[in-house]
Amino acid sequence: MTAAARPAPAQAARPMITFQNTSIELGGKVIVENLNFTVRQGEFVCIIGASGCGKTTALRLAAGLYQPSQGAVTFDGKPMQAPRRDIAIIFQDYGKALLPWRTASGNVSLALEAAGVPKGKRVARITELLDKVGLPDHGKYPAEMSGGMQQRLQIARCLAQDPVALLMDEPFGALDAMTRQGLQDEVLSLVAASGATVLFVTHDLEEAIYLGDRVIGLLAHPGRIGIEVKVDLPRPRDQLTTREHPEFLRLRRELFDFIKFAES
Amino acid sequence: MNAAVTMRAAILWRIASFGVAAGLVMLWQAIADARLVSPVFLPGPDRAWNALVRGVTDGDLVAKILGTVEHMAFGWLFASFVGIALGALIGSSPRVRPYIVPTLEFLRPLPVSALIPVFIAFFGLTQAMALSVIGFGAMWPMLLATVHGFAAVEPRLYEVARSLHLSRAAVIFKIGLPSASPDILAGMRLSVTVALILSVVCELLAGLDGLGHWILLSARTFRSADLFAGVILLGVIGYLTAVAVAWAERRLLVWRASGH
Amino acid sequence: MPSAETWKGLALPVVLIVAGEIAGRMANLTDIDSLAPPSSILLAFIEAVRDGSVLTTTRDTLFTAFTGLAIGGAVGLLIGILLGVLPAADRLMEVSIESIRPIPSIAILPIVLIALGFGYRLEIAIISFACMWPLLILTRAAVRGVEPRLMEVSRALRLSPAARVFKIVIPAALPRIFVAFRLAAGIALIVSVTVEIAINPLGLGHALMVAQQALRPDLMLAYLVWLGIVGWGLNALLLLAQNRLFGRAASVEDVR
Repeated sequence: MTAAARPAPAQAARPMITFQNTSIELGGKVIVENLNFTVRQGEFVCIIGASGCGKTTALRLAAGLYQPSQGAVTFDGKPMQAPRRDIAIIFQDYGKALLPWRTASGNVSLALEAAGVPKGKRVARITELLDKVGLPDHGKYPAEMSGGMQQRLQIARCLAQDPVALLMDEPFGALDAMTRQGLQDEVLSLVAASGATVLFVTHDLEEAIYLGDRVIGLLAHPGRIGIEVKVDLPRPRDQLTTREHPEFLRLRRELFDFIKFAES
Repeated sequence: MNAAVTMRAAILWRIASFGVAAGLVMLWQAIADARLVSPVFLPGPDRAWNALVRGVTDGDLVAKILGTVEHMAFGWLFASFVGIALGALIGSSPRVRPYIVPTLEFLRPLPVSALIPVFIAFFGLTQAMALSVIGFGAMWPMLLATVHGFAAVEPRLYEVARSLHLSRAAVIFKIGLPSASPDILAGMRLSVTVALILSVVCELLAGLDGLGHWILLSARTFRSADLFAGVILLGVIGYLTAVAVAWAERRLLVWRASGH
Repeated sequence: MPSAETWKGLALPVVLIVAGEIAGRMANLTDIDSLAPPSSILLAFIEAVRDGSVLTTTRDTLFTAFTGLAIGGAVGLLIGILLGVLPAADRLMEVSIESIRPIPSIAILPIVLIALGFGYRLEIAIISFACMWPLLILTRAAVRGVEPRLMEVSRALRLSPAARVFKIVIPAALPRIFVAFRLAAGIALIVSVTVEIAINPLGLGHALMVAQQALRPDLMLAYLVWLGIVGWGLNALLLLAQNRLFGRAASVEDVR
């Protein structure tokens, strides 16, 4: 299609995020049970499921914020015992994940300071990143920004980590439809440019199909894989044409049936 | 256009407010002149002002003012450093908090001045006693406020810190302290008030150089004009310190005001 | 069975008491006149209860505190409501109030001393002065913070100003007014004890000073612990009342 199209994931077959028979018990309840899946390098995998099915928990396991009770979660072959600096986590409650006392620049700077980037080099990188996500006003505080802008700021800070993987927890759930669509396309282009591996949790199945190379559907109580589909739609995706594509509609029906089945 | 009108209205109200205050002062003068209350108790504002001027030029009122200010300053500095440091350590550790916070909360309503006899027992009626009392007393609100502030840090930010691999020092200084700063500043306001009160009381009791001692002497010798001058000066000190803390709050908490 | 949280909270006081007892016995603290082991403190307290001094001093301190709270609180409440309902009056009085407010209540002690001499009235007067301000400031804020929609309703119903104040403003502001009284009660206790320590020969503060001067550290510390219990108990009682009466409505903004 265009130069921005990513290479088909099958060519970069290296497994990055791997769940092996992973189970976790929290507060006496088994949240997820026997998860088995792999996200390969450069892949964009989406996880869907009804509320409470454990998809956020699965993401937090991948992030190293939780440790599995059974089985293992590995990244690039190494077990995830703690969060890694090169795996960026994008939280749903962006307001709480930003430092309210720092400006946009300050928030992005935090990631650079943590990585030990010397002061002189920070300014250029901050400018580059904020421009990349479309935030021209570097001196604004989060409280002065709209929801969409705050989420972009969080994305900018995550990009400052030079991540090889992005873990996104329903990042657009709290935003209105138009902002959501704009950000979906921005994320797609950012990820295409960097070649990062992405694990994306959402309750919106159309969003999952639109963004992903693969969609995994979880059943609830306990969370376990119920369905796994490949999304064979051309890239780059387009809000109008892709969503009218017959394959998109087919997948949509398939996943809709799954959700109905899962909720019954 | 609208902003200019409201600004002008605000200034006019302020002037009117000063006018009312001036009117009250004149009322005070009238009552004193008419000797409705004995001049032993209520000197007129003119006599109080003269006493103030006399005290500064002839007497050692300046030394007394500095004495009280020094006591307060010491107390506030000690309170800030120790209170914030201890509060940060306690507040940022969820393992330590359940052991220490209940005791702190139990001690919160205890009147700080009740410690004065205990410190007198240790140090006698000395400067050391006063500084210990003021330091310890002023530390208390800062400690409690800082613990609360650190305990209330948004947990999501701690997860961000883990994700970025921030060092423990960076977590305290870049995340904990700024997040707790509204609480810390509220504690500072209280701390400064406590420092003033304890300074005055200790000066009263131990005869130390300060405004507390000044007003006690004036009361003993029935020099009501001097007494009123001292009381007014204490009010001025209280006012200036409150303004200073409010200014610090505005400067440091810019991010709170924006977006509301 | 108390929760793990309760055990953890009790750990520190228990450790301190035990350590104090051991250290006291070892160092033979009966020779030192500034500290006493916990057992001596307890005995001194029991003795003071028996001879009635705990009762009289506590009664005196609480009496002056509550009376001062009532008087100062009432004045502060009235002025606060007035200033809250009449913004013009509020703006006119701004400079005067902001000038007098910073004067520490302890500073007016010598003035009142000359006028009233030692005793209950001295203490009550100073406590009233101290309690007036928090009530004034917080009541004014509470009145101003009454839901504007309610004020519109009162205008639509054409209520008289008095009716508006009594039927809408005060009930709406009541939770925060109660919080103001609770905080002022704490201030009342503190000021009461401070005045007694500084100069007034009655109450718990005075008892503390007397015990210290008589070189009775056990008695002094007994009164100190008792004072802590009284302060905590008073606050806990008021907090309980607040939660019972108002629930969530009152925990809006705890001014520290």
